[in-house]
Amino acid sequence: MMKPTGPNAVAERGAELAQLLAQVALGNRAAFESLYAATKAKLFAVSLRIVRERHIAEEVLQDSFVKIWSHASDYAIEKSAPLTWMATIVRNRSLDIVRRPHIELADEDDALAALMVDDAPSALDQLAARRDEGQLARCMQALDGEQRKSIALAFFEGLSHSEVAEKVQRPLGTVKTQIRRGLLKLRGCLDGHVQRDIGAQA
Amino acid sequence: MKLSHPELRSRLAAEYVLGTMHGAARRRFQTYLERDAALRAEVNQWQARLVPLIDVVTPIEPPRRVWQKIEARLFDANSTQTQASTVVSTPNAAKRGSASGLFTWLTSRAGLTFAASALCGMLAVLLLVRQLPPYDQPMRVAVLEDTSGARMVIEQNKPQLLEVRMVKPWKANTSSSFQLWILPPDGAPRSIGLINQDGSTKIEMKELEGLLEGGLAFAVTREAKGGSVTGQPTMPILCKGVIAKTPPREANRSANKPANTI
Repeated sequence: MMKPTGPNAVAERGAELAQLLAQVALGNRAAFESLYAATKAKLFAVSLRIVRERHIAEEVLQDSFVKIWSHASDYAIEKSAPLTWMATIVRNRSLDIVRRPHIELADEDDALAALMVDDAPSALDQLAARRDEGQLARCMQALDGEQRKSIALAFFEGLSHSEVAEKVQRPLGTVKTQIRRGLLKLRGCLDGHVQRDIGAQA
Repeated sequence: MKLSHPELRSRLAAEYVLGTMHGAARRRFQTYLERDAALRAEVNQWQARLVPLIDVVTPIEPPRRVWQKIEARLFDANSTQTQASTVVSTPNAAKRGSASGLFTWLTSRAGLTFAASALCGMLAVLLLVRQLPPYDQPMRVAVLEDTSGARMVIEQNKPQLLEVRMVKPWKANTSSSFQLWILPPDGAPRSIGLINQDGSTKIEMKELEGLLEGGLAFAVTREAKGGSVTGQPTMPILCKGVIAKTPPREANRSANKPANTI
């Protein structure tokens, strides 16, 4: 089945997930299974990119869904999209347990490495391909190339400053500056389109 | 690490969400987060900005065993140890036992208006109960109020189900969570769980009856996102209401029914 695309489809999928989450909050196990089925592959991929090792990503997914089950009633649709809420749980868990003094150290999974480089389009390419979809993609697109690459590496792979520096082969200080400026620019771009919060001025 | 400069706070919050902060630095930042609501708000804003980026991640199918393990952890009767800590929607609940001082603190902060508002709550409860059909009488009911009047109605219609209906919602706030407490006549408040800021919340748990047993009133505090990390209220009570119970015979009969979850 084709995945629905376009902003409306995204909103519809979000509404479906929100309904499932509401049912999960009531203790509906069938809804929980549907929610898992609808999001597992995305969330597993989000974690796997960060933790690199499949067995660790599996544990992250487990822990995250246990938390989603018990915290579903905390979810409020006006605050964030359902998948954003769930992905935040998964990313936090992934980043909490990632133990990677060096980028090459934990990269033992050849299949994943191949997948990240060859088989699947890289996150950056996909983002570039979606320049017309959504404010976030537009704002990412507005960053200069090196800023965008550093931010994407940090976000998707969960790389530290020094790991990003090594990967893009730039001095650490340069990378720190790129990320800092890129984030400020991103915030300015995104917040220009939503109500400003106190403290959110660039 | 100084966290007073607004620009530094925002940058660290962004880098925490982005993922560049690892290990000890990440844990240190989390300790700041626990006690700094404004910093949590900053983090939440960055999450809202950045996390939707996952839209472009190509999905990867996890193995079937992940779901089996999730089910085993949550629903397998044999693994009751994990069940007890995960099924119930009470984050950080019942962590601390020796907190009678906190109840004093709570009542002193809840202040002298407690009795007055309890009385109003009782009146409201009486009005409410009178309108309910006799065959559908809730086991417990309470109207939680603050100085501006009724905020929410809480009903327990089944031994394992508590329904919270917001009458007058608060302004939505992404950086905090509303936590519901039951106040026993003595001893520390017990966390029941987090409630939605608007609309309604249904809290279902097997241990509900035991948790509510002996409780005199419900109260709500605005806690850090995710609930109080100490297992006890850390903020003033926003609203509260005394509990009206149906006759004990009825309540006991219902409470002794075997567990019967959805």
